[in-house]
Amino acid sequence: MKNIRNRIEIQFSAFARKIYHHRIKTIFLMLIAIGALLSQLPTIEIDTSTEAFLHKSDPALLTYNNFRDQFGRDEVVIVALKPKQVFDVNFLKTLAKLHTELEENVPYIDDITSLVNARNTRGEGDLLIVEDLLENRPKTAGQLQMIKQRAMSNPMYENMLISKDGTFTTIIIRTQSLSSAGQKTDIMEGFDDFDADIQAPAGTKRKYLTDEENTEVVVAVEKIIKKYQSDDLPIYLAGSPAVVHFLKEAMMSDMQKFMLLAILTVSIMLYIMFRRISGVFLPMVIVILSLLSTISLMAIFGVPMKLVTEILPSFILAVGVGSSVHILAIFFHRLRKTKNKEKSIVFALGHSGLAVVMTNLTTAAGLMSFANASVAPVAELGIFAGAGVVLAFIYTIVLLPALIAIIPLSTKKTETLRKNNRIMDKVLENIARFSTTHPKKILFVSFCIVAIAFVGIFSIRFSHYPLKWLPETSSIRVATEKIDKELNGSMSMEVLFKTNRENGLYDPELLNRIETAGKEFVKISNQEMFIGKAWSVTTLLKEINQALNENNPDAYTIPQSKPLVAQEFLLFENSGSDDLEDFVDSQFSMARLTLKVPFVDGTLFDPVEEEIAAYLNKNFADVEFQITGLVALLAKTFNNTITSMAESYFIALVVITLLMILLIGRIRIGLLSMIPNLVPIILMLGVIGWFGFPMDLFTMMVASIAIGLAVDDTIHFMHNFRRYYELSGDPEKAVFDTLHSTGRAMLVTSLVLSVGFFIYMFASMQNIIRFGFLTGFTIITALAADYFISPALMILANPKKTV
Amino acid sequence: MKTVFRLIGLTLMITFLIPPSFSMADDEKAREIMQKVDDRNDGDNQTSEMIMTLIDKNDEERIRKLSVFSKDKGEDTLRLMFFLHPADVKDTSFLTYDYDDPDKDDDQWLYLPALKKTKRIASSDKSDSFMGSDLNYSDMTSRNLEDYDFYLKKETQVRGKDAWVIESKPRSKEIIDETGYTKSLVIVQKDIDFVVRAVNWEKTGDSVKYMDMVKLEQIDGIWVGTEMHVAKKKGNQTVHKTILKFNNVKFNQGLEEDLFTVRRMEKGL
Repeated sequence: MKNIRNRIEIQFSAFARKIYHHRIKTIFLMLIAIGALLSQLPTIEIDTSTEAFLHKSDPALLTYNNFRDQFGRDEVVIVALKPKQVFDVNFLKTLAKLHTELEENVPYIDDITSLVNARNTRGEGDLLIVEDLLENRPKTAGQLQMIKQRAMSNPMYENMLISKDGTFTTIIIRTQSLSSAGQKTDIMEGFDDFDADIQAPAGTKRKYLTDEENTEVVVAVEKIIKKYQSDDLPIYLAGSPAVVHFLKEAMMSDMQKFMLLAILTVSIMLYIMFRRISGVFLPMVIVILSLLSTISLMAIFGVPMKLVTEILPSFILAVGVGSSVHILAIFFHRLRKTKNKEKSIVFALGHSGLAVVMTNLTTAAGLMSFANASVAPVAELGIFAGAGVVLAFIYTIVLLPALIAIIPLSTKKTETLRKNNRIMDKVLENIARFSTTHPKKILFVSFCIVAIAFVGIFSIRFSHYPLKWLPETSSIRVATEKIDKELNGSMSMEVLFKTNRENGLYDPELLNRIETAGKEFVKISNQEMFIGKAWSVTTLLKEINQALNENNPDAYTIPQSKPLVAQEFLLFENSGSDDLEDFVDSQFSMARLTLKVPFVDGTLFDPVEEEIAAYLNKNFADVEFQITGLVALLAKTFNNTITSMAESYFIALVVITLLMILLIGRIRIGLLSMIPNLVPIILMLGVIGWFGFPMDLFTMMVASIAIGLAVDDTIHFMHNFRRYYELSGDPEKAVFDTLHSTGRAMLVTSLVLSVGFFIYMFASMQNIIRFGFLTGFTIITALAADYFISPALMILANPKKTV
Repeated sequence: MKTVFRLIGLTLMITFLIPPSFSMADDEKAREIMQKVDDRNDGDNQTSEMIMTLIDKNDEERIRKLSVFSKDKGEDTLRLMFFLHPADVKDTSFLTYDYDDPDKDDDQWLYLPALKKTKRIASSDKSDSFMGSDLNYSDMTSRNLEDYDFYLKKETQVRGKDAWVIESKPRSKEIIDETGYTKSLVIVQKDIDFVVRAVNWEKTGDSVKYMDMVKLEQIDGIWVGTEMHVAKKKGNQTVHKTILKFNNVKFNQGLEEDLFTVRRMEKGL
């Protein structure tokens, strides 16, 4: 083992020498290769849509697609108004004006509903009236009173168009489900394909409404309501299309802003540590080239950037800085001693090359364990971040020696640098002394800390609550919380009943069961999660039945004979009919039951969905049913992801352990080295538990960076410790030597990166703040583990021997 | 303007009272053509059997059969329809008085045999679907020429016959709301002043309706469309189709006015 390692180290040195001599050729070839790669960069797409979280072949997504092909988009934009008085002539005039302005100016609208055009079906004597509620604008107090009475007594309007207490009223905007992009213009061609099957052949299917189109809708709505908003008339904008839009905006702006800030702080830190421009320039070249190349790779494979993959730059930053600083710290140190660039870089690569390979290999392996995740962007992050790590490694060992060869470097020591180094040496010296003299105490204290942290792990709660990522004052968060409270929810879940036979829904017994199911579901709740309202085709039937029976409230029931159901449907198709297609298919074989739900933590959906499924299994054995809708779909996917990610991490740890054993060449030491790997991760989990941080997708991502960095530190320590131990046979001396060489690089890397991540704590979004804090914290604890625990373990595990 | 449904011959010609001094923003030639379409004799005292095939986006079909009677009363049109098929709605019937006066809402009665009740239906909205088909009520009732601007776009051929392509645009928002269409293209076959094709842009939902009169027959000297295809499209994608066929079209059947009463409707066929 020792020989193999020596041979590899010699080869790294030889490689560095070769590159150094062929510097121009190397740089030229690399520039061509990188240039070719980067030429693809402009084709990168950005997809922040919600469906982008799912793989295209996900069966749940296919079910959902079938659903929206049939019924249109299930998500709505909600504009809620709180006037002094809803039933007021002037306010109703304003409402109508706003309604019209939205209808005329917001693109891609499929349907817009408010009290202005709400369907009002009623009977007056032998007259059956189907009209818009405000068909005739009320002018007198009496007319106003009548409108109010009609609106407040309509169960369909309740909490949909007007809050139960009558203080809020809404405008509901449903957009088209399909994108308008790329439609043909020659209108006359439309006559040619009447006999063709309606089902478009595969591949020609229109895309669903795109993310950009969704944004256009929300921006247009926002612009219009701003004109109407005042202290006397607060207007709230919510609904999942709006949430998605604002979340995306906030994420993009925070991530971009803080990525730049992170690069800036990392640069400043690098300058403070190295006191030379090249110490900033060289790692940054590696980081930026690696990052751009990784994004270019995504472009080449046609994988768009998504919300989750926005974390990629931070990741590449961490890995790229780590690799290059480890080489550079040794290099600069050597350069000042030898005053010879070539000798120094040859030495540095020989010294740390193998360790850098191993750190990158373990990090990439850890990331690749995500490749199977059921949430598409997580899988993509695993694959591309893994590829990015490999690229960062190649650029480090190839470009770094070549660049060092061509740029002039000062070999002088400045006074501040000397002072810097003296402080650093002193610190490292003290640490080495402390950890070698008190190994048992260190291990005991560490054990206690880990034990406390471990207890915290049990109070970790999984979560997926994007709304809470936004600051408390964010308008969309305020609006959503308001609407959820005042109008019993702002999102919906869908239950689909399929009889699979034409006119299957004419059966009153089945309709009764659907009606009862809705009533039962409204009773379900789970902490903040509840079902605020349930409606289906039975609501329409009851409405028309009552109207046909002279508005008698007792007739607000489902007709109990099959022909009457059929005839009332026909009447409905004939008089307010377009609404019917929102509830049933045209064959009357399939019914939709919509359940209004609040925007709460996604993990609360699962138990509710299970309860619903259990009820359906029991009561609808003869009917096929599906639970769908975007909200439910995503909640489920995220829950699966969180558990599947936990599994991925476990696999990653196993893989890393095996690699550690392989690297060190001894099973026992390899296993021991997992202790400093695991301690920072347990501490991080402990902090999450004790601080009550939610364990969501973002927190999970931190772990991937944390594992990568913790393992890197351990590898660097173990690798060098073995080397020095084999040289001297004295574990104490080996610890001193290790900390003085690699320990310096570890300190630089950790300080630079932790500050780079702590800067994220000034972001506006809670998830990004936590991300910055946890990553920075883990970088520090990982360093501490390898400064104290690793030496302590090695002192105890390795006897003093003569070489 | 003759509506497509009227072309089928169910409703009678209506005389338009356009003030001669009315200043036209559109082109005269187009208006002249539309006037001729409107003036064409489309018969009276008509009976027929209507077969409606509704095809949804899953390519599933539903068939409805109705027996239709219509008669002119002055400038108004009376129409009675009985459902023959499917069985669940058999004997359900509709009676309509389509008034020429634009200020007067049409009268509509509905008889539901399962409820044994007749209801008068009050609705001024004509943009709703007619019996679940791709036609709406405005397609069935007459529209006034003075509510629209007409523009002659070009000449074309439909199934080998020369035709005009005319664009029609509603002059007011009220008309758009009432008909549900923001604009239309109508294609008029020159030799018989017959609208053989039309494209209607819908106000909501970004959809366009294609109406194509695929079969024309001359019955008792009157041109009647006996088969029409309607396709509702969003972009390139057809979302729903209707095939409308008329069998046994007969004119001058000497229908009495008291056929078009609620009492008669309740009695069934």
